[in-house]
Amino acid sequence: MKTRDEAFETLFKSEYARVAGIANRVLADPQEAEDVAQEVFISFHRLHSASAHFAPAWLHRAAAHTALNRVRGRKRRERRERQELAQAPEESSRTFDPQRMLEVSEDRRIVRAALARLAPKPAAVLVLRASGLSYAEVAQAIGVGTGQIGTLLRRAEAALRKEVTRGTSI
Amino acid sequence: MAHLSEGTLRRLVDDPEALTGSDRRHYMDCPGCQARHKGMADDAHAAATMLSAPELQLDVANAFKRVQAAPAAKPQFGFSLPILRPSTRPMFAGLAAAAIVAALAVTAFANILPLFQPKTVQPVPVTVADLQSLSKLSDYGTLTWSKQPQPQIVLTAAEAKSVSGLDVPVVAKLPAGVSSTVTYAAMPGAVAVFTFDAKKAAAAAAATGKSLPKLPSGIDGAKLTVTVGPAVVEIFGDMNANSNGNSNSQNINLPQLIVAKSAVPVVTSTQVTAKQLEDYILSMPGVSPELAAAIRSIGDPTTTLPIPVPVEYASSSKVKINGDPGVALGDNTGLGSGVIWIHKANVYVVAGSVKQSVVLDIATHLK
Repeated sequence: MKTRDEAFETLFKSEYARVAGIANRVLADPQEAEDVAQEVFISFHRLHSASAHFAPAWLHRAAAHTALNRVRGRKRRERRERQELAQAPEESSRTFDPQRMLEVSEDRRIVRAALARLAPKPAAVLVLRASGLSYAEVAQAIGVGTGQIGTLLRRAEAALRKEVTRGTSI
Repeated sequence: MAHLSEGTLRRLVDDPEALTGSDRRHYMDCPGCQARHKGMADDAHAAATMLSAPELQLDVANAFKRVQAAPAAKPQFGFSLPILRPSTRPMFAGLAAAAIVAALAVTAFANILPLFQPKTVQPVPVTVADLQSLSKLSDYGTLTWSKQPQPQIVLTAAEAKSVSGLDVPVVAKLPAGVSSTVTYAAMPGAVAVFTFDAKKAAAAAAATGKSLPKLPSGIDGAKLTVTVGPAVVEIFGDMNANSNGNSNSQNINLPQLIVAKSAVPVVTSTQVTAKQLEDYILSMPGVSPELAAAIRSIGDPTTTLPIPVPVEYASSSKVKINGDPGVALGDNTGLGSGVIWIHKANVYVVAGSVKQSVVLDIATHLK
């Protein structure tokens, strides 16, 4: 039988990429996504046994909510992005199209701001599904029946489109 | 045949084989459903594109080392608080949020009288956005404990009584499936003082860049003194720590039932009127008109403890526990429930991952 620490290592290795992927889907920032993923695993390890049957669902949900909370308090992040953009044309001119980079970054900012304005559940459904979780896995993570996911997803997508449109028309 | 539901059509976007025979036949013959499906597919593809993200380059081994190096937390009560199955957590999250916001709401309503002591309870529907906006109350002053809360885990009901001074409630008959193993937590009374600070409020508003409500004139320096507890909590379930030699590495099973009793909160205030505080809190950005209306319709705020019910997570109903009005909270999935009521200046809570009828029966027969 595995010790608690061994079980945690197994869980970490099997779920880390997915947890970081969920956070990255929300944040569009690999470095910050890894920070969130590690924070989520640390919280989990302090509170739960890695062999708990709910462990993956807990991690997925926590990754989505922690990352969404970071987007909601993103002032610091936006400041850094602006600094990076200011440096980007010089540093990256050989490999990237600065104009395109600027556009992609701005698009991502608008989408993440729209995501942060959605209610927590639809926002989580969107990012979990976009991160490749199955309907059953999304359902487990947010604590609803699998049969509800289609409807939740549909409404969340419509809401996101509406919010993004609103964000770009202001 | 009725048109296909939006959930069914949305699933079809991800899984073309998802339709059953009759649904498929309907879909093939129905231009309306096909058009709706097309619109959903467009939205789905747009969302997928919008949520694209830069590629991750992960070093899992190094990440694991960083996580291992993080200092272990010290659980407040000597053991980790129970974490429930994802499907049952929302109800408990609702109860926890209710408890926290109840404290804030008490602070808000207790004032026009030098002494506030609720005698009854009343549900108030709130949303997560409401909770978030109410939590900003801390931006407007400083909370200090003149008598710190000192919760303790004790082994017997007698010890719990000795710590809290309260008679520990006795469950007349445990329902089948609930462990008779009980853990007691007890806390003497604690006293918090909230001091309104106009400068802090101005700084907080400036930091967030938002236009926050102005403090009523003359409120700067006003103090609200809130006495909470004493309290006792009985947690039923096998709470055995699973320590493998690491004192911080503890694990417990889920509690099946929690019974709590606390003296009603008592609040005294200076310089602040009920009307001022109510108007102030309800003018905060993010407090919905529905919540404001619910709070204003609550009746006598000086004797009523508002029980915030997070509408996304829990439903509530008014009940009577041996003649005392109570609020029953139920998980929308039916996997857990709780009830809160006031009897003879004590607030009681019974909650667990059991049916609501079971919770109400335990509450009614509590000794």
